[in-house]
Amino acid sequence: MTEVYFGSSYSRRNALRLMVAGAAGLAAPGLLGTPAFAQKAPAKPTGRIIVGLGQEPTVFNPLMAHIEVDDGVHFSVFDALFRIDPKGEIQPNLAVEVPNLKNGGISEDGLKWRIRLRDNVRWHDGKPFTAEDVKFTLELITNPNFRSWRTAGHALVRDITVISPTEITWRMEEAFAPYLSFLTETFIVPKHVLEKEANPNNAAFNQAPVGTGPFKWSQRVAGDHLELVANPDYFGEGPHIERLVFKYIPDLTVLYTQFKSGDVDLVGQPYITPDHCGEARGLPNRVVTLVPRASFESFYLNLERPQFKELAVREALYAAIDKESIIQGLYYGVPTPTETFMPRQSLYFNPKLPLHEFNLNRARQILDQAGWAPGRDGIRAKSGVLLSFANSTTSGDPLREQVQQFLQQTFAQLGVEMKISNLPAAVMWGEFWQQSKFDSVIVGSTYLIGADPDVTNRLHSRSIGAKGGRGSNNAQYSNPEVDALLDKGARSFDPEARRSIYHRVQELVRRDLPFLPLYQSNAVQGNKKGISGAVPNVNTRTESWNALAWYWAS
Amino acid sequence: MTAIAANLTPARWWHNRGVRRFMRHHLALLGIAMIAVLVLACVFGPYALPYDSLHIDLRARFAPPLSGHHYFGTDPLGRDLAVRLLMAGRVSLLVGFSAMLLSTLIGTFVGVTAGYRGGWIGAALMRTVDGFLSFPSIFLVLALAATLRPSPVMITIIIAVTSWMEVARIVEAEVRSLREREFVHAARMVGLSGRHIMLREILPNATGPIIVAASLTVARAILLEAYISFLGYGIQPPLPSWGNMLNGAQQYLASAPWLAIIPGAAITIAVTSFNFIGDGLRDALDVRDDHI
Amino acid sequence: MSGFLLNRFSQSIVLLVIVSMIGFTVLNFMPGGPLAQFGLDPGMTQKDIERLAEQLGLNRPLWIQYFDWAWRLVQGDWGHSFRDGAPVLAVIGRHLFATLLLMGTSTSLAIAIGSWIGIRSATHRYSLFDYCATVGAMVALSVPTFWFGLIGIYIFTLKLGWVPAGNMYTIGDGSVLDYLHHLILPSLVLSLVHVAIWSRYMRTATLDALSQDFVKTARAKGLSERRILLKHVVGNALLPMITLAGVQLPSILTGALVTETIFTWPGMGRLFLDSLGYSDYPMVMGLLIFSAILVVLGNLVADVLVAFVDPRIRLS
Repeated sequence: MTEVYFGSSYSRRNALRLMVAGAAGLAAPGLLGTPAFAQKAPAKPTGRIIVGLGQEPTVFNPLMAHIEVDDGVHFSVFDALFRIDPKGEIQPNLAVEVPNLKNGGISEDGLKWRIRLRDNVRWHDGKPFTAEDVKFTLELITNPNFRSWRTAGHALVRDITVISPTEITWRMEEAFAPYLSFLTETFIVPKHVLEKEANPNNAAFNQAPVGTGPFKWSQRVAGDHLELVANPDYFGEGPHIERLVFKYIPDLTVLYTQFKSGDVDLVGQPYITPDHCGEARGLPNRVVTLVPRASFESFYLNLERPQFKELAVREALYAAIDKESIIQGLYYGVPTPTETFMPRQSLYFNPKLPLHEFNLNRARQILDQAGWAPGRDGIRAKSGVLLSFANSTTSGDPLREQVQQFLQQTFAQLGVEMKISNLPAAVMWGEFWQQSKFDSVIVGSTYLIGADPDVTNRLHSRSIGAKGGRGSNNAQYSNPEVDALLDKGARSFDPEARRSIYHRVQELVRRDLPFLPLYQSNAVQGNKKGISGAVPNVNTRTESWNALAWYWAS
Repeated sequence: MTAIAANLTPARWWHNRGVRRFMRHHLALLGIAMIAVLVLACVFGPYALPYDSLHIDLRARFAPPLSGHHYFGTDPLGRDLAVRLLMAGRVSLLVGFSAMLLSTLIGTFVGVTAGYRGGWIGAALMRTVDGFLSFPSIFLVLALAATLRPSPVMITIIIAVTSWMEVARIVEAEVRSLREREFVHAARMVGLSGRHIMLREILPNATGPIIVAASLTVARAILLEAYISFLGYGIQPPLPSWGNMLNGAQQYLASAPWLAIIPGAAITIAVTSFNFIGDGLRDALDVRDDHI
Repeated sequence: MSGFLLNRFSQSIVLLVIVSMIGFTVLNFMPGGPLAQFGLDPGMTQKDIERLAEQLGLNRPLWIQYFDWAWRLVQGDWGHSFRDGAPVLAVIGRHLFATLLLMGTSTSLAIAIGSWIGIRSATHRYSLFDYCATVGAMVALSVPTFWFGLIGIYIFTLKLGWVPAGNMYTIGDGSVLDYLHHLILPSLVLSLVHVAIWSRYMRTATLDALSQDFVKTARAKGLSERRILLKHVVGNALLPMITLAGVQLPSILTGALVTETIFTWPGMGRLFLDSLGYSDYPMVMGLLIFSAILVVLGNLVADVLVAFVDPRIRLS
């Protein structure tokens, strides 16, 4: 993998280099980042790779509500119908082809779906995988007694019919293009194991999962690590390592120290902290790479607060953010500045958005012109509203706290008072976030599911939780044009039409600034020299999405 | 420190002997001296140093100690560590003192009530004390810190609410034994009210153990503040406290160890001093105490 | 004896009820809750979150939730984790070994070192040794444990490279030597405070014993100082020590909380912090009850043992 280095300022060229880095591993025809020099991979699975993680994977039933860190295990033990490759294209996995309008897998109106399945797949216990398992899985997700994860999309599925062991059809209540992307994160579970369980929430299966994936469940030492072993009967290529270990190391500094000392072969989420990046690059026998992630960091505003209702204020604050110093100074140049929530690797990324410029004088001018005049204490105010607000982020995150204090100082020069009020994660992202009880928040989060550009959940006015909506538009952003575009985009199956729709959405959001874009994150991923086949995939949430292709170069 | 000295003077019965013994205890004197120096430094020191504790200068990040006028170096945002340490000392010491006062008040109130009233009120109060004591104190502290917005005042209250039980126990035991003494009986015979007897007759006789417990509570409160701020639940930036200066210092342990060493040393010095003082007071006041 | 036990038992039940009620209330009043972890998931809708709240029974009134939980507990059902549905008691069991190993090692170390220091301080009262031990104990009691751990890592791992940077064992090794190697630093860090406490108590207890009449009698009989010390003094001084050990039993849970985090030790302290972080109510409640039971047991064991060792104390 090529190492990526970022110049000091945003430029198209750097973006291109990043893309190249992401695609370098894909040069070979093999799908899914199967390494270009696959012939070097051992004939028989050999060796062991220990992945260090900052949170503990605990949810092993992939359909149950879970968090990012559990994904690595799911991708290794289970298979979904489809897989999403690093370029954002959907590839068949348990299915033999990706349904679309052309091959008739999806009907013209987008309502009838037909999936053809592989006939050579077996569960880890030897039983054959059939369409019945797919039906069982989709029905379990919407079972009201089951504590399932995301149900959006799945809730629209009706009349699931098993035509044959290798063919299944269903009808959608309404056309919903993102569903194909959703299915790349919907892992199929075995009917014959789970149907026997009285309560799927407490099933023994949840602690010792049986899948079809490249690795089989071996053992787990709770609070410490879990171990998977190669599945020799895997239907696809791989796996090339005999054992895959996920090790839980709660402290980021210790995670890095153990990578340095060699206790950990590969650093997974949340990766190496940016302040260790420089040192890590100098370590002998270690490969450290900047890997683009879909996570988008922004200074997120609550637009229902009187301070932020006016666009001028948001523009002024944006102009007062010294992104360059934050990214180069506090983050050691690791993340990439951005103007949008869309990852720049996405087919739908809009590269023509106006670029941010740090200019305190312009910020002052904007506020002066809009009538926000400094009061006696130096803080600006307009018609009784003081330009003062709180900013929150997860407490115990030293880098974000540094950003906050840095911004606090810059804003103060502008006559804007920002108070820091951080909360523990368990408090922060609950009601406080979901019901828009904050003034402003520094948050990094992914907007897309798989590679699908649909962001209805985040930006549609119907999705405002605080107003009884269904989604997580917690900035309470409301723009009728954006709403209409999002509705149209979710129904369209034509990539070209969708591209122009989402380009426009990004333009409008960049103009309205419901959040002030800071950067798109890059993970500082580290692994021991000799580990091959690890290809980053911005469309998944885990570094271990293709552990089946990893191997030790001899 | 002044608070303790002030408390020492008005009491009568142990005055001469106690003070003499206290003075004989060199460590306690050392503790008082160190606290005096710390308090003076924290109050006046920041004016003597040419830096502002909040001013961020990204060009001066991670200066090691003794570089230029940064005697203790600078932090990840280029702020002078010496000034921050002293400003943090104000917060930490103030939180420690106030938490001590508050928890001693709560503890004394509960202890006196339970000890004097006895009966089911006393039993209920003391079982509640047991209940609080059998919690991992960190659970209560973290849960409360997550529930309430962590300002210095809130942190003080949280610490006080979770550390009054020792005082309550000591006072309850003391009061229970004093309740049956002659002078209390006498007071009751004369027809003095229960409240008067508790406050005027019994409480002054229990001051010894209370003062000892209080001085040790300051030490504990400072440690507790450091603990919760280290975990990120405590005093929020940019206001420095000794604890939150340590939070985040861990990741620079290899490259900038002074960020962890200096605030930690300050905490240790302050806490040790209070423990010295408490130990000296225990000797001086002749308090037999089963708690350390 | 049976009267004593009965009384003790009923008091313990009251204590457990109080602890569980306070814990349950505090926990549930903590804003955020168990579903906060899904707040940033791009695909979880508000509807999903409401559905999960309903399924976990979080929409019911607090007192119903409490009685439901308590009734199950009385029947021996500790509930299931909100995170992964695993039975609470089994999860506690899985983390118990690591904590016992760490606490056991550090407590044994502390008792051994602390007793030695305490006895020597008492027999050499006001010597330089006694003086240093006193000061040392006070300083040790004043050092924040987490800071001491960090400094330990800085010196012994980062600078000297003598001990590993954490973990209980090397994956794939796990020999006794490997365990010991990993145990050194965390158990030393943890035992620091306990050495201080033990040495202070031991000193007092030994001094008390030394001033007793039977020591004087023994001396008069012409027994050697060494024999007096071992047979009469230490034996008597051990008595209060047993109480102390019993009282310290519950610190198994919290004693190692931060140490376990700093040293990546897969024990109960870290389980507790993690569970609190995810607002995993059944898990946190299970741990609280577990620790309260330890408190009760610890006190009981201490009382009974003392009575057993010293027949002068009657249990009544």
